[in-house]
Amino acid sequence: MAEKNELMQEYIWIGIIIAMLTTFLVILGYVSEAKGFDTPSSAVTCDVRQVRKGEILTPGVKEVAPGIYEVNLKARMWAWIPNSIEVVNPKKIIFKVTSEDVVHGFQIVGTPVNFMVFPGYIAEIQWEVPEDFEGTYLFVCNEYCGLGHDTMWGQLIIKRE
Amino acid sequence: MAGQGYEHEVKFTKIAIIFSFISLGLGGLFGILQLLERTPGMPQLLDRQQYYTALTGHGVLLAIVWTAFFIMAIAVHVVSRELQVRLSRTLLNITLLMTIGGTLVAAVPILTGDAAVLYTFYAPLKAHVAFYLGAGVLILGTWVFAAAIFKAFIEWKRKYPDKALPIATMGVLTTLIIWLEATPPLVFMVLKDLVPMALVNKPVDVLETRTYFWYFGHPLVYFWIVPAVTLWYFAIPKLLGVEIFSRQMAKVAFLLFILASTPVGLHHQFLDPGVSDAAKLLHTILTFTVASPSLLTAFNILATLEKGGRKAGGKGALGWLSKLPWGNPVFAGLTLAFIMFGFGGISGVINASYTLNYIVHNTLWIVGHFHLTVGTAATLSFMAASYLMVPRLFGRQIYSERMALAQPYLWFIGMAIFSLAFHIVGLFGVPRRTYDVTYAGLAPPEWLPWLIMGAIGGVVFWFSGVIFLANMGLTLISGRRITEPQPCLFTLDFSRLPAATRLDSIKFWVGLAIVVILIAYFVPFLEIYGRGLSPAPPVTPEGLRLG
Ligand code: HEM
Ligand SMILES: [Cu+2]
Ligand SMILES: [Cu+2]
Repeated sequence: MAEKNELMQEYIWIGIIIAMLTTFLVILGYVSEAKGFDTPSSAVTCDVRQVRKGEILTPGVKEVAPGIYEVNLKARMWAWIPNSIEVVNPKKIIFKVTSEDVVHGFQIVGTPVNFMVFPGYIAEIQWEVPEDFEGTYLFVCNEYCGLGHDTMWGQLIIKRE
Repeated sequence: MAGQGYEHEVKFTKIAIIFSFISLGLGGLFGILQLLERTPGMPQLLDRQQYYTALTGHGVLLAIVWTAFFIMAIAVHVVSRELQVRLSRTLLNITLLMTIGGTLVAAVPILTGDAAVLYTFYAPLKAHVAFYLGAGVLILGTWVFAAAIFKAFIEWKRKYPDKALPIATMGVLTTLIIWLEATPPLVFMVLKDLVPMALVNKPVDVLETRTYFWYFGHPLVYFWIVPAVTLWYFAIPKLLGVEIFSRQMAKVAFLLFILASTPVGLHHQFLDPGVSDAAKLLHTILTFTVASPSLLTAFNILATLEKGGRKAGGKGALGWLSKLPWGNPVFAGLTLAFIMFGFGGISGVINASYTLNYIVHNTLWIVGHFHLTVGTAATLSFMAASYLMVPRLFGRQIYSERMALAQPYLWFIGMAIFSLAFHIVGLFGVPRRTYDVTYAGLAPPEWLPWLIMGAIGGVVFWFSGVIFLANMGLTLISGRRITEPQPCLFTLDFSRLPAATRLDSIKFWVGLAIVVILIAYFVPFLEIYGRGLSPAPPVTPEGLRLG
């Protein structure tokens, strides 16, 4: 009798676990699809030595269409190049980032922009900038990259006109 | 009979435990120094070089050395006593030689500041070659250890082919199988890439080496957690005087750990370029699968606790809680560790959802998360197990029962404060692994109160660790000698062991695990090698480019 009761409880719990994990996965899939969720999965490689010489990925900010910005960034121990980015009325920012030396992490504090930066690979990510984002945002390196890691930061300035 | 006849097993266990305590002490010292250093307004005792040296030491000593040595100690104790078999003395001696020797070889460059690459040693950041070689020898030593345990197990199995696996032994075997799934590709990568990088400046591919690292890095967390789970399954029912709620469910949990703990490493690489969304999704689904044995464990232990509380006269929906033996340090330590494991599991599922991961990736949230799992679920359980094992091994009573009882509660309270603060401030974006987070005054002001709260919690649980180690040291030196032999908790009466069922045939599950691993890693490795590698030359932590 007691045995049966316990077996029942086991099955109920297993059912709850499966239902719970499936629900999480479905929500995840939905959010991922509905929001056009983007991880930096781009598969573009590049030669580190050429990056060092400046032959690949010229750093800078370009408005390629109204409100659409392309930002090319280079990571170097221990600076972001450029370390100040200014955009006016951005709708979307496309980041293309690579490293001249070791692994770094690009994170703009207070925004969803956060991804890894590798030498030999060009990470690319798009950020649809919500209308209410305005002012100065700190960006940092969030992967340990040697002794000066904490000095590797810059600022993103979003202006609205 | 319990204590006699296991001389070299006892010697191994004693040496491994003492070595693990030393690692815990040194690692903890680094922990408190770096915590204060990175909190604005606290005593700043380290320069940058020392900070990252301490952080490397903290990660290696606590995540690898403290856990591995304590786990080897429990494994020998459990397997020799539960199965009543002897382990090969030669293999155990070789294990000690290689694991302690390897640790010391790696420790030299860490302590001299020639390996400030942290315990993840992401290439092409370069450490002294002794760091990689020492770590490699340490891992090879653990394989010798696994051989010693499996040899003894096979002898037992020959004698009792039809008996069910005892639960603690099954936990130990699961732990070792996971370790053996996880480590060979890591050793392969270290020998193929990192040793040549350190010796002759060979350029290496970042994504390739990271994928090998995280192939190992996730099962590593189950290498910590499964022994803790084993201790809960084994000791909590004993302390309550009841049977575990469901023996079958415990075994199912172990088998699922074997199956799914390895093919999930890409959930640490959600934000890596060069890995496709499809591969990331596949590993996400498998990660949710490996959450299930933890949830099974949560239910099983809770139900066992309820059973024990009701047996002691607890009534009503929650009345059984107050009847539990909260005044017993072993019970308190294990149960509080189990509760923290629940919270660690919740933040773990959040980390594993790549739609949320980008918010917390590489922030202090992660530090809050793993101090709940390895830092509490495993560490506090091992501390509780020490109160049980040390008197029996060394023949001395715990020096102070009162210190032993206060210690787990203090750890729990301190960790609750520390980890809550770190989770929250992580959401605000404070990066981990960073010497100074003031950013020349540009850091958002809302960071500060939470960082200070984290520091307060950290000081509290660090102090609990000091109490633990002081109590252990005093026990070894001047604990009252135990004269009458202590009954060994693990000794079993084989005639009462039930017959083996499908749940006792581990082989099938190991085979299945290998198939799943091959499928799960075929995808990213096809992408990496199919595209062609893109190697980068090594650079030292000081910024010196080598090629
Ligand atoms: C004794 C008190 C402890 C304190 C005060 C402490 C404090 C800290 C702090 C502040 C960090 C983050 C440093 C940073 O990211 O810049 C950290 C990292 C870490 N802690 Fe602890 N910790 C303690 C105990 C433990 C224990 C017991 C474990 C595991 C058994 C542990 C495992 C780790 C690991 C693996 C890291 C990551 C290292 C890295 O990022 O490379 N800690 N600890
Ligand atoms: Cu950095
Ligand atoms: Cu993981």
